[in-house]
Amino acid sequence: NQIEEDLNKQLFDNLVSFLRRSHSEFQEKTTEWNCQMKSREIPTAALVLGVNVTDHDLTFRSLSEVLQNRVTPYVALLQAKDCPGIKNLMQKLLGQLMNCYVDVDSEEDDYVQTSQNRIRCSMTSLITWYESVTKTPSKKRTSSRHWQSPPVVVIFKDMESFTTKVLQDFIVISSQHIHELPLVLVFGIATSPMIIHGLLPHSVSSLLCIELFQSLSCKEHLSTIIDKVLLTTQFPLKLSEKVLQVLINIFLYHDFSVQNFIKGFQLCIVEHFYTQPLSVLCCHQEEVKKRINSLSHNQCENIRRLPSFRRYVENQPSEKQIALLTTDGFLKETVQQLLDDLNVYHENYFPVLRCLHVFTSSLPKYPLGKQIRELHCACLENRVWETEEYESFLQLARMLNKCDLVTMLQKCVEILVSSPGKEFDKTVEKLKEFLTQFQKLEGGCALSYVPLQIKLKLFYNGTNGYHFLWYILTLLELKESRRSKKLTKFEMLRFEVVDYIDSVVRNYLVPADHKTLHEIVYFNTASVLREHLNAAPRVALHTALNNPYCYLKSQALRSDGGSISNKAPDICIVYKLHLECGRLINLVDWLEAFSTVVTAVEGPNADAPSSDQVDDVIHARFIRAVSELELLGFIKPSKQKTDHVARLTWGGC
Amino acid sequence: KKVTKKKDKMSNLVEEYFEAHSTSKVLTSDRTLQKLRKRRLNQQTLHDLLEKSPLAYAAEIEELNQQYESLFSKWMLQLHLGFNIVLYGLGSKHDLLEKFRISMLQDTVHLVVNGYFPSITVRSILNSITEEVLDHIGTFRSPLDQLEFIIKRFKEDSSLELYVLIHNLDSQMLRGERSQQILAQLSSLPSVYLIASIDHINAPLMWDQAKQSLYNWLWYETTTFSPYVEETSYENSLLVQQSGSLALSSLTHVLRSLTLNARGIFRLLAQYQLENKDNPSYPGLSFQDFYQQCREAFLVNSDLTLRAQLTEFRDHKLIRTKRGADGVEYLLIPVDDSTLTDFLEKEDEDV
Repeated sequence: NQIEEDLNKQLFDNLVSFLRRSHSEFQEKTTEWNCQMKSREIPTAALVLGVNVTDHDLTFRSLSEVLQNRVTPYVALLQAKDCPGIKNLMQKLLGQLMNCYVDVDSEEDDYVQTSQNRIRCSMTSLITWYESVTKTPSKKRTSSRHWQSPPVVVIFKDMESFTTKVLQDFIVISSQHIHELPLVLVFGIATSPMIIHGLLPHSVSSLLCIELFQSLSCKEHLSTIIDKVLLTTQFPLKLSEKVLQVLINIFLYHDFSVQNFIKGFQLCIVEHFYTQPLSVLCCHQEEVKKRINSLSHNQCENIRRLPSFRRYVENQPSEKQIALLTTDGFLKETVQQLLDDLNVYHENYFPVLRCLHVFTSSLPKYPLGKQIRELHCACLENRVWETEEYESFLQLARMLNKCDLVTMLQKCVEILVSSPGKEFDKTVEKLKEFLTQFQKLEGGCALSYVPLQIKLKLFYNGTNGYHFLWYILTLLELKESRRSKKLTKFEMLRFEVVDYIDSVVRNYLVPADHKTLHEIVYFNTASVLREHLNAAPRVALHTALNNPYCYLKSQALRSDGGSISNKAPDICIVYKLHLECGRLINLVDWLEAFSTVVTAVEGPNADAPSSDQVDDVIHARFIRAVSELELLGFIKPSKQKTDHVARLTWGGC
Repeated sequence: KKVTKKKDKMSNLVEEYFEAHSTSKVLTSDRTLQKLRKRRLNQQTLHDLLEKSPLAYAAEIEELNQQYESLFSKWMLQLHLGFNIVLYGLGSKHDLLEKFRISMLQDTVHLVVNGYFPSITVRSILNSITEEVLDHIGTFRSPLDQLEFIIKRFKEDSSLELYVLIHNLDSQMLRGERSQQILAQLSSLPSVYLIASIDHINAPLMWDQAKQSLYNWLWYETTTFSPYVEETSYENSLLVQQSGSLALSSLTHVLRSLTLNARGIFRLLAQYQLENKDNPSYPGLSFQDFYQQCREAFLVNSDLTLRAQLTEFRDHKLIRTKRGADGVEYLLIPVDDSTLTDFLEKEDEDV
């Protein structure tokens, strides 16, 4: 439990700091601009934030923090749900401003707090408050820290949900007082800046002096987060390909929300540490040894039961097998060693992955994906060098020109040098050697390859049809030249480089599934995630009603589907009968059909002692089932015809 | 190949939809329950009858429940980690949540909200938090203020913890936008742990992205197959006697307590209405005509007494007045014709 919390915290800190950083630049722009504005109109900043509403909270919080630290102590955050009318808006605004003010320098002033509630919430009281705050001598410190008359910043968090009237009124009122009260408005916009003109008529929007700011797109956020959190050795827990795919799919196809991605990741952590008994060993390297030594006999047995470990054992000589399966001490040593191996594997994996990404991301058509996450998934899924995409990557790489190749190699060297792995000395050396060789081959880039290079360059710039034509032509040309001429020195070298890269990839990018003990650090039950994050209640209801055997494991319920089994629970029978109907259902007919089906079961064994009694019971059961269907939202009472209900779903049999 | 298959399925779905909604004509028989000649069951007899019939597949259901009960400790962990739990699936989850409450929340402060209860409001939930959990006496101007107060208190005092169990979060009373917003904000507090159940097929439509992120749901499928006893007991089913419109028993009950003349007046109106029941444009009986008829039958002697009598009927919701196009008041009995016929027959018997 403790570990989990630690991990969560660590993860969260990382993410938050990252989000802060990525926004700080953008915030700086805003703040600077806020300082400069001084004019008749109300200066307004429109922040285009994207549709991922859930992430905006964090942005606004850090924005107001930055503003408070650097520009002005008076920042108010307004949300649409708090301000149904102009009165509520003013009330909230005043309350927040005075509170803000108290927050910033809380040591000295007690008198501001006096009965905020009783102050009449109007613009005049706001102005008098503002004057009293800025003009009184005791506040000099505040004023000198910022400047003479600091602006009052009002942030509208969700521009789209505000009612037009409230916004208009507020803007018109405040524009009247702009001389006494320097206001700055910030609109948070989720869709597009056109919404401002949609919401506000010309007469109002002309009072504003709007400048647009664009925030980072959520996709970039995601890729940086994946880069920082998943593609490092820093976090002991890793995600398997399927899990990662599910998370990314939820992100890309559903909500674009980084928060939800984080939530999914959190769930992975919880689930991993909860279900996998060996996840105790999933920790930083320094602690591994301690924990291995404290393993109990049962836990050792658990290790022996891991499929990847069994595979490992089978490949060992027989006396070692026996030792592994019987002696706990020996097992612990081996496990220690294996975990070390796993760690080394990770240390090598990520830098090599990045190098490969340098190559693939600059090739036309992105054979292995544009983003590093796609490459990562591809590598985890299978042996990457066996895929077709990798084949085409190699082919394309063999046609690179010298300049690009050199820059790429240089990038790779940088990555490898900065990586913590120890085995790269040789690789780096080799790459450096290649580089010097290229330098010796001077002129290669300049002389015979100029036309080719131009064409290739053209192609890199875009991937539309026109350029693609060029690309084909170059290919043909290349083939011809290969056939006709002997390979030039440069080409030879190029082949050599590509082959070398290939070998490096084969060495280090083995998918994690093939490693022993990968179960400890990889979380791989994607179905859990899908169930708990992206549930489908309607599907569950349908299967339960349509095929109760899925849940109730009784032989009597087993059927081929389609036909109405008369042994099913009442509600299932009623549901099936209702599927056969159109838009309206006659209750009497429905009841009769139901009683026919039900009596078919009871007919043989009970010889109908009192038909009236049975009838009543069936009637009652029918009523119950129908009202349950109504509760579930499949039908609703209809006024169109007497004793009819309307179906709210469609399709069926 | 898979893609085309999917596409086929998709277009099929679309076609099915339009097929279902294309014709305004409805092809169903015209039989009504009235013609079945069966007494309508009331709530009590229904309950008794259902008691008698045994629940099918009790063993299997029990097995399912046991499976879900093994998840309890996991739920507790996840609640503490900031997630909230929502249960979906067929069958009442009332008993399951109750078991969860008994086995896990015995020593903690917890609040059970019966969402299916027809007069529940967010306000009452918030009231019970402020009054019983926070020991605060006093009223608030609006639920928003109250919520703010609660949030403040919970933030100040980190030792406060509250488990909230909501049965049927998607019930009629709680499904509104504002109440969901308030509940979502409440549930986003780190020391408030929410576990709720939903049943309606369209329940997830209540939540937009912002609310969903506040709720921070973890979904759990708990298909129990157990009957919705508590939940449907408030549901006014078509087949059970409806409390909304006037039923025969209440009709006779009210009229029994009236004077003979008053009963006669009502009878007159009912007869007149039944005579015209096949005329769809029948607006009702105008007051002047009615007065005339009542005078002829020696039921009233002045305009004023009839008006007083009608006011009394109206108070008991026995009649409704409608103003026609010509400004004349028309009188109608808002009871369906079959009940009215029954009533008249019964009256005849009594007399």
